[in-house]
Amino acid sequence: MEFEAQENQGNNSIQGVINLDPQVNQVQAQQQEITIKQTDIQVSSTLEESVAVTLLRDLRQIGVKLRCVLVPTMSSNNAKELRNWDLWGPLIFCLMLALTLSMSGNNNDGTGIFATIFVLIWIGSFVVTLNAQLLGGKVSFFQSVCVLGYCVFPINLGALFTLIFSFFYLKMFLVIGCFLWSTYSAVGFMKLLIPEQKRILALYPVILFYLFLSWFALIV
Amino acid sequence: MLDNLNQDVSILQPSLQMTDSQVQNRIRQMKMEDPEEQTCYQKFCNLFTIEYYREYFDVTTELVISKVVNSFNPFSGTFFDIGGGIPELYGPFWILNTLIFTVALSVNISKYMQLQPGEHFEYQFQIVPFLAIFMYLKTLIVPMIYRVALKCVSQDRLTLLHCFTIYGYSAVVMIPVSLLNSIPNPAIQWMLLVYVLFAQTSFLTSNFNQELKYMPKEKKYMIVGLVAVVQITIMILYKFYFFSSINYQQLGLVKRKSHNHILSHILGAN
Repeated sequence: MEFEAQENQGNNSIQGVINLDPQVNQVQAQQQEITIKQTDIQVSSTLEESVAVTLLRDLRQIGVKLRCVLVPTMSSNNAKELRNWDLWGPLIFCLMLALTLSMSGNNNDGTGIFATIFVLIWIGSFVVTLNAQLLGGKVSFFQSVCVLGYCVFPINLGALFTLIFSFFYLKMFLVIGCFLWSTYSAVGFMKLLIPEQKRILALYPVILFYLFLSWFALIV
Repeated sequence: MLDNLNQDVSILQPSLQMTDSQVQNRIRQMKMEDPEEQTCYQKFCNLFTIEYYREYFDVTTELVISKVVNSFNPFSGTFFDIGGGIPELYGPFWILNTLIFTVALSVNISKYMQLQPGEHFEYQFQIVPFLAIFMYLKTLIVPMIYRVALKCVSQDRLTLLHCFTIYGYSAVVMIPVSLLNSIPNPAIQWMLLVYVLFAQTSFLTSNFNQELKYMPKEKKYMIVGLVAVVQITIMILYKFYFFSSINYQQLGLVKRKSHNHILSHILGAN
């Protein structure tokens, strides 16, 4: 019996091949190899570090992934970084967007807007990823939700711009710019994983998703 | 089992010849249905796996675009000849979502265009969930009505999924029309409404007619009548819930009181 243990969590990585054969007698058992390679930090020490260190490390990872996602260069480093998905980044950006839009002074239905944006972002990411999987793409589910959530960040910037400026056409121009930035990043990631003849079918929902969010950001 | 596949393909009618990927899908499906090869999860929870639905998303870009273009033509009746008449759910689902977005946009634009000079514009957000629920319910229930009617006249070639597909694609006409609907002139709105009604009903009936050609006249007219009645009901609901906020008083037509009363009940406006 032989099994491989492979665990990939951020900076910690344990890779091992453990051979356990119950039919092997004692003499041969001594000759079995157990190789465990540990990089960076040992597993037990993350439980003992202070909260500040943990938070800073997580924030740094979020920052690194954000840079990978938003500066749309197609390097292989980017792809490797993005494979370590996490949902903290999307949650932070989603909450920031929902709070920004519900607190702006233009409307009196703040809670309704907060709820709509929150539900829209999560269910929208879920549906867009499901669509890409159903069309036969080899996207991993949470990885795709993670990238879509990180690409909401430019729309956050757009919402902040609409709070600051008041000239409508300037606002529209900035929000359209942010929408194009988001869409270009998300499309750059997703188009690698879909076969050629179905590419536009898988990318159109992404465009619709960010268009809807940008429209919300512009309107409120 | 797999050896008979070639035979099956050759005796199918020409309009139902399968492409390569459809053949592969069929092989995959037959493997899935083979009791020895199924995992336990596939046997009992097949409805929740992705593979179960994958065959309904087996489309290419050109196929979807050609179907969309076909649905703008209300008289051709060739919808079920495109791509072999295989039912699919990609088109209806995303056309529906695009439609929800477009109608929300145009309701707000129509309110904006009717602003009095001193008024401050408030966006209507509570309309979005209501609109979404209305559209989803409509798209779920109406094809079921059609399927029941077709079954009553003992027509079995069009399954429920075919009805979903064709009803979803018939909604494409509403996307540009709802954008134009934001113009606050009531004459234009009624004209657009009549056009959409006519286009959708004739698209649906001319495609159903392909299957109903060989039936006695009463049954055919029954189906056509049912399609028309359902479409009219939905269009009237749509018009009066979403686009009735025209300020008729400003246009000097009707007293303001009754409209406000109905509106505040329906939209829960503040």
